Amino acid sequence: MVVDIIISTLINGSIYSILAIGFSLVFGVARIINIAHTAFYMLAAFCIYAGTNSFGLHPVLAMGAAIIFVTILGLASYKLIIEKIRVHPAATIIATIALAMIFQEIMILNFGAEFLSVPVLVEGFTVVFGVKITYQQVFTFIFMVILLISVWFLLMKTKLGLAIRATAQDRETANLMGMNESMIALVTIGISVGFAGFAGAIVIPLTVIHPHMWLSPLIIMMAVVVLGGLGSIKGSIIGAFIMGLTEAIIVFLLPMGSFLKGSVALTILIIVLIIKPEGLFGVSIEGE
Amino acid sequence: MSILVYLRRLFVTIKEEIIILPTKVITILFILFLLVLPVILPDSYLMRVLILAAIFAMLTASWDFLSGFAGQLNFGHALFFGVGAYSSALFNLLLKIPPAGSIPLSGLVAVLAGLIIGFPCLRLKGIYLALTTIAFPIILTGVVNALPGITGGELGLSGLDKLTGSRIGDYYIVTLLMLGSCTVMYKLTQSNVGIIFHAIREDEVSLKVSGINTTKYKLLAFCLSGLFAGIAGGVYAHFMRIAGPSTLSVSTSFTIIIYAVFGGVCTIYGSVAAVYILFPLMEVFQLLPQFRTLFFAAIVLIILLYMPSGFIQWIIDKIEKTCSRCGHKNHALRKICRFCERPFKYY
Amino acid sequence: MQLEVINLRVVFNKAMILNDINLSLNKGELVGLVGPNGAGKSTALKAISGLIAWRKKVSKGIIGGDITIDGLIVFNGERIDEMPAHKIVSNGLVLCPERRKPFREMTVLDNLLAGAFLERKKVKIKENLDIVYQLFPKLKSRTRQISGTLSGGEQQMLGIGRALMSQPRLLCIDEPSIGLAPIVRAEVFEKIMEINKRGISILLVEQEISTVFKMTSRNYVISSGQIITEGTSEKLLNDNVIRKTYLGM
Ligand SMILES: Nc1ncnc2c1ncn2[C@@H]1O[C@H](COP(=O)(O)OP(=O)(O)OP(=O)(O)O)[C@@H](O)[C@H]1O
Ligand SMILES: [Mg+2]
Repeated sequence: MVVDIIISTLINGSIYSILAIGFSLVFGVARIINIAHTAFYMLAAFCIYAGTNSFGLHPVLAMGAAIIFVTILGLASYKLIIEKIRVHPAATIIATIALAMIFQEIMILNFGAEFLSVPVLVEGFTVVFGVKITYQQVFTFIFMVILLISVWFLLMKTKLGLAIRATAQDRETANLMGMNESMIALVTIGISVGFAGFAGAIVIPLTVIHPHMWLSPLIIMMAVVVLGGLGSIKGSIIGAFIMGLTEAIIVFLLPMGSFLKGSVALTILIIVLIIKPEGLFGVSIEGE
Repeated sequence: MSILVYLRRLFVTIKEEIIILPTKVITILFILFLLVLPVILPDSYLMRVLILAAIFAMLTASWDFLSGFAGQLNFGHALFFGVGAYSSALFNLLLKIPPAGSIPLSGLVAVLAGLIIGFPCLRLKGIYLALTTIAFPIILTGVVNALPGITGGELGLSGLDKLTGSRIGDYYIVTLLMLGSCTVMYKLTQSNVGIIFHAIREDEVSLKVSGINTTKYKLLAFCLSGLFAGIAGGVYAHFMRIAGPSTLSVSTSFTIIIYAVFGGVCTIYGSVAAVYILFPLMEVFQLLPQFRTLFFAAIVLIILLYMPSGFIQWIIDKIEKTCSRCGHKNHALRKICRFCERPFKYY
Repeated sequence: MQLEVINLRVVFNKAMILNDINLSLNKGELVGLVGPNGAGKSTALKAISGLIAWRKKVSKGIIGGDITIDGLIVFNGERIDEMPAHKIVSNGLVLCPERRKPFREMTVLDNLLAGAFLERKKVKIKENLDIVYQLFPKLKSRTRQISGTLSGGEQQMLGIGRALMSQPRLLCIDEPSIGLAPIVRAEVFEKIMEINKRGISILLVEQEISTVFKMTSRNYVISSGQIITEGTSEKLLNDNVIRKTYLGM
C-alpha cells in the first residue's frame, strides 16, 4: 500500500508538475488562461496511438511526431485565434474552452469514445516489498524527471528562460529591458504546449487513451497552479507533488476514492484560496 | 371617457415607441409567437423542444445576470442548475412534496448554494475566481457519485412527479416562468441595482471608497442568479422526471456560456434569443449527433473572432442605431434622429 | 538635440493626463522634470519610453481603459513615438521605472542580466556588470539574494544598475528618492551625478526639489499635465510665483 502510494505520487506528481509549469508560464507571460492546455496532452496521446496503429510507426518515432505536431497545432491556435482576442480575458478563457471541446470532438469522430491503449515501451517488472513495479513505470518516472530538469535548465540557465521569467513576473518592466513581449508569449506557448505533449507522450503507455482524458488532469492541474501560486515555478512543483500525494492517498485508502479525488483536490484548492487568496507560494499578480 | 384616453395613450405609445423600433417589434412578435404556438401547432415534439429551450433560456439569462452584469465570471454555473434539480428531486421523492412546492424550495436551496459559493468568491478576482467557480460543481459531482444511496450515483434520481400532466400545461407554465423571470432580471439590470453592478464590474475599489457595500451587492447577484438557475433546475428535473449528474457537468456549464456569448454578454435578452435560436438548431443536429458539440464550439470561436459583442447584438447594431446626441434609439434606415433630429450620416 | 518631445498628449478614459507637452534634452545634459503629485511626470516618462503605447495595445477593459496617445517624439534624429517599447530600448533610451519594479522573484544577478538582455557579447555583459558593481558595491555582495528581499535603497540601486546594463545613452529615472532615508537618498543622487559624468544624459523626475536643483542644468515644471515653465535652477528658484505655487518652497 505505502509503496503503491509512493509510486503513484511520484508519477502523477511529476506529470502535474510539467502540466502546471506550462500552464502557469503561459498565464504569467501572456495572461492567457489556457483551458485547452491538457487537451494538447490528450492530443499527443491520440497522435501516438494513430502513429503506431494506423501508420505503423515505431513508438519512439510516433512520440517525436506527436510532440512536433502538437506544438505546431498549439502555435497555430494561438496565432490564428487566441492572439486576436487576447485583450479580453474572459473571451480568451471561453475561446480556449471551445478549442478544447473542438479537439475532443474531433478525436471522438476519428477514434470513437472507446478506451484505447498503446503497448508499453519497456516490458517486465520487478518486485519491491511485495509490490509489483513495472519497468515502464520506472522508465516514465525517469523521463519525467529528465523533462523537469530540462524545463528547469531552460528557465534558469538560458537567456530565453530569463526573459520568460522576467516577462511572467512583470510584463511592463520586461518591455523596458528590450524583451519583445509578444514574441516571448509565442515562444512560451510553443514550449508549454510542447511539454504538455511530451508529458502525454511519455505517460500514455501507463494509462488508457480517451477523448475525455484531458478533463481530470485539467482540474487537478488548475488546483496545483493555484495552490502553488500562479507564476511560481517552485510552487508549481511542490503543489503538484502535494496534489499527487493527496490523490494517491484518497484513491488507495477511501472507499469510492476514485470518484472523490477531484473533489478533494478542489476542496483543498478552495480552502487555500479562502485562507490565502494568492496561493501558498503566491506571487501577487500586478494590478492589470 | 377615461378608458378612451387610456386607449389613445396606449395607441400613441405603440405608434411612437414600439412600431418605430424593430427590436421592440421583434420582441413582441416573439412573445406572441410563444404564447399562441401551441394553439396553432400542438405538436408534442415541438413543445418538448421549446420547453427545454425555455428552461435553458432562464438558466443562461441567470448566468448573464451574475457574470455579465455583476462581472463575477462564473465558469461553473451548472452548480446552481444541478443543486436545483437534485434538491427538487429529493423534496419530491423523499418528502413527497408536489412540484408546486418542490420547485420553489429548490430555488431557495440554490440561493443557499449561491451564498455558500458567493462567500469565498467575494475575495477572489480574475483567474482565481474563474478557477474556483469551475471547481464547485466538480466537487459536488464527486460527492454525488460517492453517495449513490442518496443521490442515485451515476444514474441519478428518477421517477419524479410530472410537472402538470399535460404537454400544453407544461409548456405554458415553463414559458411563462421563463418570460417572467427574464423580465425580472432585465428590469433589475436596468434599475439602480444594475448601475451598481455595472460599477462593480468596472471599478470596484472606487465604489467601495464611495461608501457602497459592494459585498452585499455581489452576494445579491450570486443569490438571485442562483434562485433563477435553481428554479430552472427544479423545473428541468420535474419535466424530464430525472435528476442526474449531467446537470452538474462541466459541459453544461460551458454550454451555458456558449449560449450567452452567442447572444451577447450583458444583455439578458441576448441569452434568451440565443437559446431559442441555438437549441432548436441543436435538435436538427440530432440527426448528426457526433457533429453537435463540434459545431457549437466552432460557432463560439467565430462569434468571438468576428462579432465580439455577440451575434444578437451584432444584428441589433445592424437594424438600430443610437443617436449620439440624445441617446435615443432609431431604426437603421432613419436619416435623422426621431427625437432631436440630429442627422446620422456622419456616423 | 538628443531627445525632442513635441505636443505629446495622453488621454485616459477621456481624462487628459498630458496636454501637449514639449520638452527637449541635449546630449550629456541632466534635466529635471518636477511637479506636484499626479501632475503626469510618470506618464510622460512612460509615454516617451513606449509603455503607454504598449498598454494601449495589450489591454482593453479593466484598468487599461480607453487610451489615446498623440505627438511626436524624436530621439537621436529618429522618430520613436511609433516604435514598440522594446525597440526603443535598443536605441539607447532606457527608463528606470517608478517604485523600482525589480523582478522580485529573481536574484539580483538575474535582474541585472535581464537588463542586459539585448547585449549578445558575453564579454561586454561582464564589462557592464563590473561597471555596475563598481558603482554600487553593495549589489556585488548580494548577487545571489532574491531581489524582493532587498531594502528599499538597495532596490533603487538595483533598478538603476539594471537600467545601466541596457547601455543607455539617455537614462530616464522616475523618483529615485521615494521612500528612502536622507543619507541613502544623498547616496543615490551622488550615483546619478556620477552616471551623468560618464556621458549618459539623464532625465530625472523628482519631488525632492532642493537637491535636484543643485544637480540639474535645466528643469521643466509640470502641473496638471501641462509644462508650466522651464529654465535653469537659479531662474526657477528666483521666480517667487513659481516657487510658491508649484514648488511649495
Ligand atoms: N492607468 C491609468 N488610468 C487612469 N488614470 C491614470 C492611469 N495612470 C495614471 N493616471 C492618472 O494620471 C495622472 C498622472 O499620473 P502620474 O503617475 O503620471 O503622476 P505623477 O506626476 O507621476 O505623480 P507622482 O508624483 O505621485 O508619482 C494621475 O491623475 C493619475 O490618476
Ligand atoms: Mg509618478
